[in-house]
Amino acid sequence: MGMDRREFIKSCSLVAVMGLLFGCRKSAVLGDIASQLSVPELKRFEDEVKLAMSQAKKSLDLVKVPTPGALKIPGASTLNRFGMAIDLDACDGCGKCILACNLENNVPLVPEEDAARGRFMHWVDMRGGAPFMCAHCGNAPCERVCPTGAANHTPDGLSAMMYKRCTGSRFCGANCPVQARKFNFNDAQKLGLARQFNREVPLRDKGVMEKCSLCLHRLQNDRLEFKTSLTVGTAAEEWRGRGVKTACAEACPKNAIVFGNWLDDKSPLVQLTKNRVLYAPCELAALDPSVVFMRGRR
Amino acid sequence: MGESCVPEHTPGPIPFDHALHGDSIGLDCAACHTGARASANAYMPSKADCMDCHRLPLTENPGIETLDSVLAKADDRPWSHKRILPEHVVFHHGVHAAAGVACSDCHGSNHMQNRYGGEKFDMQSCLKCHRGETFKEKGFKPAATYCAACHR
Repeated sequence: MGMDRREFIKSCSLVAVMGLLFGCRKSAVLGDIASQLSVPELKRFEDEVKLAMSQAKKSLDLVKVPTPGALKIPGASTLNRFGMAIDLDACDGCGKCILACNLENNVPLVPEEDAARGRFMHWVDMRGGAPFMCAHCGNAPCERVCPTGAANHTPDGLSAMMYKRCTGSRFCGANCPVQARKFNFNDAQKLGLARQFNREVPLRDKGVMEKCSLCLHRLQNDRLEFKTSLTVGTAAEEWRGRGVKTACAEACPKNAIVFGNWLDDKSPLVQLTKNRVLYAPCELAALDPSVVFMRGRR
Repeated sequence: MGESCVPEHTPGPIPFDHALHGDSIGLDCAACHTGARASANAYMPSKADCMDCHRLPLTENPGIETLDSVLAKADDRPWSHKRILPEHVVFHHGVHAAAGVACSDCHGSNHMQNRYGGEKFDMQSCLKCHRGETFKEKGFKPAATYCAACHR
């Protein structure tokens, strides 16, 4: 054997150095996996929707309402008032709209203890076997009590939330008769419960109220695109938001959610609700809701 | 917030003269800055865009030889452009161009001459113009000032 003491120590230290290097690499790889784990998998979002469906409220008290007309707030558009109608005859309560909404709007998961108590962040709930979301009331009680103006109405009839203005007073949530608003009690990003599926919608911070935005980003993107395509100086056709659909309406296999413009006769919303009887939750009927339910024919 | 919302201009590796390209030969800004008129972002040109014209000897100018050698060495994307708008703000470049705002109204007629704000650009600058307080002589229509028009 030709190995002396010197050679032996040399090879030992070489092995040690190799081991150290390899160890470093390994821990770096593990670190990467850990940071990836902090972004929840799609499966968890699907499971949470299933859990929410199983805890859904069974009853929904509806009363008849007239077809929504132009908004009665100052500065409101006479051309656009966006809204939805949910067809209770077509809806079978599959819940695909909930998941579609969560992925579109980056709605975060909730910790297990919140989920057990039914405190989800979902913008779309199941109530009475049908999807239920913010009704974007023309006379919104939530906006009236916001101390910072974070909850406000757009001229097009959306009850919008400016997340960066929200200071988390939760007055709006307390004044909403149907609990359509969800408050970020948890720092979902830090807890690894948030995932940005859609770059168009920012993630919300802890202490911020959120709710259905009627896919505001889709409407605004369409408006900007429309205005860009107009040639300057011509007496232009006005933007009516034609062709835009919310994520829930797009996901519905029964086409039970109809999105459109209440003031546009060409809108599918106006055409499909023409011969139907419209309903709203009894708590909201007097608040001029933009999102209504339809059932039966007139 | 201390950071500026307007992208910083870093001098590129290629000595580029805007006056030589736009003012004297009448090239439209959007010819190189694609998307400036039609989409949400205006982009910086790649080397291939330069080479579309500079493949051919264009002038008698002795500087053209220097340019050829620099171009040969340059990266595929010699200029970079980083947008520093916060995630909750939407700025659509094309919609402003379509509304009749000329490039030079905001960017000046020469490179690196941000006439409208530059480092000091903030939401007040947006609002002043949207309310029709600045650029009065241009006669732009007042634009949307409700929160959700630009914020998400």
